[in-house]
Amino acid sequence: MKPVVIHDPTLRDGQHAVRHQLGLTALRRYAEAADAARIPVVEVGHGNGLGASSLQVGPAAASDDEMLSTVREALRHSRMGTFMLPGWGTSDDLRRAIAHGIDVFRIGVHATETSLAERHLGFLRDAGAEAHCVLMMSHMASPEELAEQAAQAVGYGAQAVGIMDSAGHFLPPDVTARISAIVEAVETTPVIFHGHNNLGMAVANSVAAADAGALIIDGCARGFGAGAGNTQLEVLVPVLERSGFATGIDLYALLDAADLAERELMPAPPVTASMSIVSGLAGVFSGFKHRVVELSAAAAVDPRDVFFELGRRQAIAGQEDLIVDVVAELSGSKTDG
Amino acid sequence: MTVMAGLTETHPDVVEPVTVAVIGTGAIGRDLVSKIDRSPALDCRLVAGRNPGSAGLRYAESLGYATTADGIEAVLAAARPFDVVFDATSAAAHLDHWPLLEPLGTLVIDLTPSKVGQMVAPTVTGTSAATGRNVNLISCGGQASVPVVHALAARFPVTYLEVVSTVASDVAGRATRLNLDEYVATTGHAVSTFSGVTDVKAILNISPAVPPATFRTAVHARMAGADLAAVRAVVDRAAEEVRSFAPGFEAVACTAVDDLVTITLQVTAHSDVLPPYAGNLDIINSAAVMVAEQYAARPDRASRTGVTS
Repeated sequence: MKPVVIHDPTLRDGQHAVRHQLGLTALRRYAEAADAARIPVVEVGHGNGLGASSLQVGPAAASDDEMLSTVREALRHSRMGTFMLPGWGTSDDLRRAIAHGIDVFRIGVHATETSLAERHLGFLRDAGAEAHCVLMMSHMASPEELAEQAAQAVGYGAQAVGIMDSAGHFLPPDVTARISAIVEAVETTPVIFHGHNNLGMAVANSVAAADAGALIIDGCARGFGAGAGNTQLEVLVPVLERSGFATGIDLYALLDAADLAERELMPAPPVTASMSIVSGLAGVFSGFKHRVVELSAAAAVDPRDVFFELGRRQAIAGQEDLIVDVVAELSGSKTDG
Repeated sequence: MTVMAGLTETHPDVVEPVTVAVIGTGAIGRDLVSKIDRSPALDCRLVAGRNPGSAGLRYAESLGYATTADGIEAVLAAARPFDVVFDATSAAAHLDHWPLLEPLGTLVIDLTPSKVGQMVAPTVTGTSAATGRNVNLISCGGQASVPVVHALAARFPVTYLEVVSTVASDVAGRATRLNLDEYVATTGHAVSTFSGVTDVKAILNISPAVPPATFRTAVHARMAGADLAAVRAVVDRAAEEVRSFAPGFEAVACTAVDDLVTITLQVTAHSDVLPPYAGNLDIINSAAVMVAEQYAARPDRASRTGVTS
């Protein structure tokens, strides 16, 4: 059996599904359950990471300090992780998180923007903390580009590097090509895969990643996350075990943790709704969903057409204004026709 | 309004030019040189970079300016100190540069988010450098948001402010990428200082979107009983003032949901060298050039310079 490290961002990425409103009791209860299951890393924070509680993406129910100290107290065996986006959080946030006993830091950047992480990866390396770099929206870059970006992150001090399938667009061969290219480029540095389930492929993609040499695989209880959700942790772990990968996780305790998560963290587990399938196929940031549906309804165009056109234009988060253009264009062409 | 009167009364083209040097030849330094080139009040004597082959140095050469790859050392070695030195390097480099430049009596205009000098947002603070020989231009997001948050807080009971800027990836150079922490701290500090609101937040997004996104800053303001028409009027007036030096500045949207007001500001670049979406560089450079021009127009400028040369 080859070992893989399971990284569990339920208490961070899951926040997106509940508008960052997880309370301290919920955080503590899940962290204790995850710890009992011996999940290696439990990640916590606002959905967009340290320092990201804001009107722009939504204020969190609890402060970073409260969240980190609560989860720290709940963990006996598991290591504690957190996440940060440069430009949202700063080195001051990292310094405070180190004081809270964070073991693993994830610095997130768009797939082609690794240089944004240079400062913070260097800071964490100098502080003696374990720092990972994750490339988001990775379907927008080729395997070669991702390999180059990953090598750059390692040069900055990342001790693990990998990709997030943020739009849930990949099929297993896509993952194999990308993870293989990255593994070849970074050699001994552990490679990370973080899946999303828009096309029902998150578990299969994660197994493909492990087969291609990824050593760190992300999963969330019940797939807790925005839209169609993330890779479902309690499915991922036994499937990896059957595929020949050792996780060190206790299956029954893991299932208990997932049951607790469903009862105490979420109003309902994520489902693969029609619009999530479309955004996954189109390779578009799922956060566009609300505006696409709203603006499409007002202009009487099919929101599915809007998603595919946004995908064709390679729209990314922050380009919400493009939705207006696309809707206007589609409604115009319909009138002409 | 007195600040604005001060800005528009002066005619930079009738004064004797001041000598200037530019340190830093990245995207911001290059646009700065192009703007200095257009200003009759500014006589560019040296453009100093670090990389002999850089596009910024080649551009300055093409305009006929003296260039050097020896950076700050070349500026310090000049036979006579320059009247004005623009620092377009990085926040960390500026911390090293300032103690070297200070004894020269030069007016230092800092385009990095170093937080060292006196913060200037032309329509709010005026551009007089009388109280400081080191003038700091805050940040691109600071230049875009400070006029608006200042005007809002003066008129409405604002309790929280958040400014979120988006810059296109290809006009965010290495120094900008390394200075995200300073950007966040300095922009937040300026928003708080000029609004009097203590609870503030600054965020910077670097967007790799293709085609590139035009520089934008969203200002979120919490205020009780927001009257959208009144807010819009205050924002429009502030934007009109900023256009006196940055013509591409616009308030493109203004919305209110309960006590939360969101204003979207956009800056299109008016530049010889920048693409239209690079409003982030255009607004901070336009402000910097304006500070230097106003300095050139000061009646006591000659005596000040005389003391130290």
